[in-house]
Amino acid sequence: MTQMKLAIIGAGPSAFYVASRLLSLLPHASLPALRIHMYDRLWAPHGLVRYGVAPDHPEVKNCTHKFDTAATDPRFRFFGNVNIGSTPISPIPHSVNLPLSSIFSNYSHLLFATGCTLPTLHPALPPSAHCVPALSLVHWYTQHPSRPPPPALDRITHVSLIGNGNVSLDIARMLLSSPSDLAKYDIPEHVLDVLSRSSVKHVSIIARRGPFEAAFTVKELRELMNLPEASMVPIDPSALIPSPDVKLTRQQTRALQLLRKGSDKSLGTTPKTWSLDFFRSPTGLAPPTSSSPLAQLSFAHTTLDPKTNRAVSTGETSVLPTSLVVTSLGFHSDPMMSFYDPGLGHLRTLSGRVISSSGTALRNVYASGWAATGAKGVLASTMMDAYAVADTIISDLLPKGEEANTTSVPPSPSPEPSLQTDNDILMNSDPRLDGVPPEIEVTLKGGLVTGYEDWKAVDIEEVRRGEATGKERERMGWEEARTFLAQSRTATS
Amino acid sequence: MHTSQKRGLHTTADRIKLHFKDSKGTLIKTVEANEGDDILSIAHEHDIDLEGACEGSVACSTCHVILSPEYYDLLPEPEDDENDMLDMAFALTDTSRLGCQVKLTRDLDGMTVMLPSATRNMFVDGKKPTHH
Repeated sequence: MTQMKLAIIGAGPSAFYVASRLLSLLPHASLPALRIHMYDRLWAPHGLVRYGVAPDHPEVKNCTHKFDTAATDPRFRFFGNVNIGSTPISPIPHSVNLPLSSIFSNYSHLLFATGCTLPTLHPALPPSAHCVPALSLVHWYTQHPSRPPPPALDRITHVSLIGNGNVSLDIARMLLSSPSDLAKYDIPEHVLDVLSRSSVKHVSIIARRGPFEAAFTVKELRELMNLPEASMVPIDPSALIPSPDVKLTRQQTRALQLLRKGSDKSLGTTPKTWSLDFFRSPTGLAPPTSSSPLAQLSFAHTTLDPKTNRAVSTGETSVLPTSLVVTSLGFHSDPMMSFYDPGLGHLRTLSGRVISSSGTALRNVYASGWAATGAKGVLASTMMDAYAVADTIISDLLPKGEEANTTSVPPSPSPEPSLQTDNDILMNSDPRLDGVPPEIEVTLKGGLVTGYEDWKAVDIEEVRRGEATGKERERMGWEEARTFLAQSRTATS
Repeated sequence: MHTSQKRGLHTTADRIKLHFKDSKGTLIKTVEANEGDDILSIAHEHDIDLEGACEGSVACSTCHVILSPEYYDLLPEPEDDENDMLDMAFALTDTSRLGCQVKLTRDLDGMTVMLPSATRNMFVDGKKPTHH
């Protein structure tokens, strides 16, 4: 093939690392000619880096500088606020809809970098006034365009987090930090306002297994332990004795040291407290009644089955009064997505190539990041996966025997002999290299679809607005951003 | 965030030699750098393919490098925050460090800096990370 016109659905870190890698491995002047059009249903790019990373973790967001560099390549274009799918239903009411068939007919290659956008719920804890998924809190404090309502923290004294992964610990840390400590970060003013009126006194972080099965990483655990205004309920030392025949990983060993040491501030010396509650599996949540103002979270107590390492009931039960339950149990891809595998909870792939339901590799259709691997991994693993997928794309593109300038990485092997390539060709083998789908073309002057330069203008303005209150940036919502961009265009025209 | 030391009038005697190698031990490049420079900045200055997603702020593990044992032992112990990030590094070894946190001193002259196993292993080994 002498050209690759690649559509990337999703503009998060996985999408940008694939794009960046392709742009650097395929030089401008040579064949194959390359164009990358990146779409996101949100008006702002960068996915979880903007709408997932906690406000007090600004250093993680330095990765966007590399994304900015990729976006300056003339072969790259970004289209924000475009929802691509077989159904027009989007949680973002203002986005422009583009059917997937338009992508098939206007592009020669396709990469799904659509992530895992739906929270995994607990069967015994359906969403209610007293039970929300962690994602809605993360979307609240990052001002995600889906605009979930804020938690009524002024009427909440006890929060129960179900799950002990890093998302859970992020939320605990946001609830237990003093708003004045958070004020300098990338945290919206309305969020700070709610946090400053919070009555939260205790956060329970609840898991159905024990300390050695915990999903958090040591960095996040350490941050909680070091909080100046919150102390941890010490953990029963007997729960922190590893079984003699089990070899602990480096991470488990270091977590154990921290758990034994406990929090920097001892219990009783701080206005707020938190606890790690192990071996508790929720069985139901009873709403408050006239006689009990708090909701009642009921648990089955558990122990580890030594053969399977899974939690099994001991028969004991208990009840915990709580104001708000937050379920933080991971994420899965949207089941409405093409090539979604319900058994996996994400798209079906092999070495980055999307696999059809009949088991054949789809020609020129790929997936990377959480859409391909499930919701696991931080930036480093996302980057490695993205680079591996980029290598697969290039090796499929180039004639056999040729290699692109991958420093120390050989090209991906061609599909295994047992894995057929699908005979149907979904994509367009000869698209107009610089053409944009007609449905998008018409919107481009209307200001509904954002380009990368629009994002950069908003980016600069958000930082400028943040300076007024001494914070990293003051975020804009879509309507504000749209107005700002329209005014800027009028001013310069 | 680290910035490279200003280039003053250093003589050849002041320069510290580093050998960057790939995971198979093949030499990529031998470079010279100054005392106080960190390995990530040095790699970028010499166009060596070492990533630094968080740009030296100990918030990722993409600048993970493997040092030869005799040089590793000359370095001060990693701080907690570096160790927390190393926990997450792919193909971690006993002589692994974050490149952004290793500042050169004269006694590191001649050190080998190995870039860990390349991305291909993600698909070959099927290794899945377990945290997010």
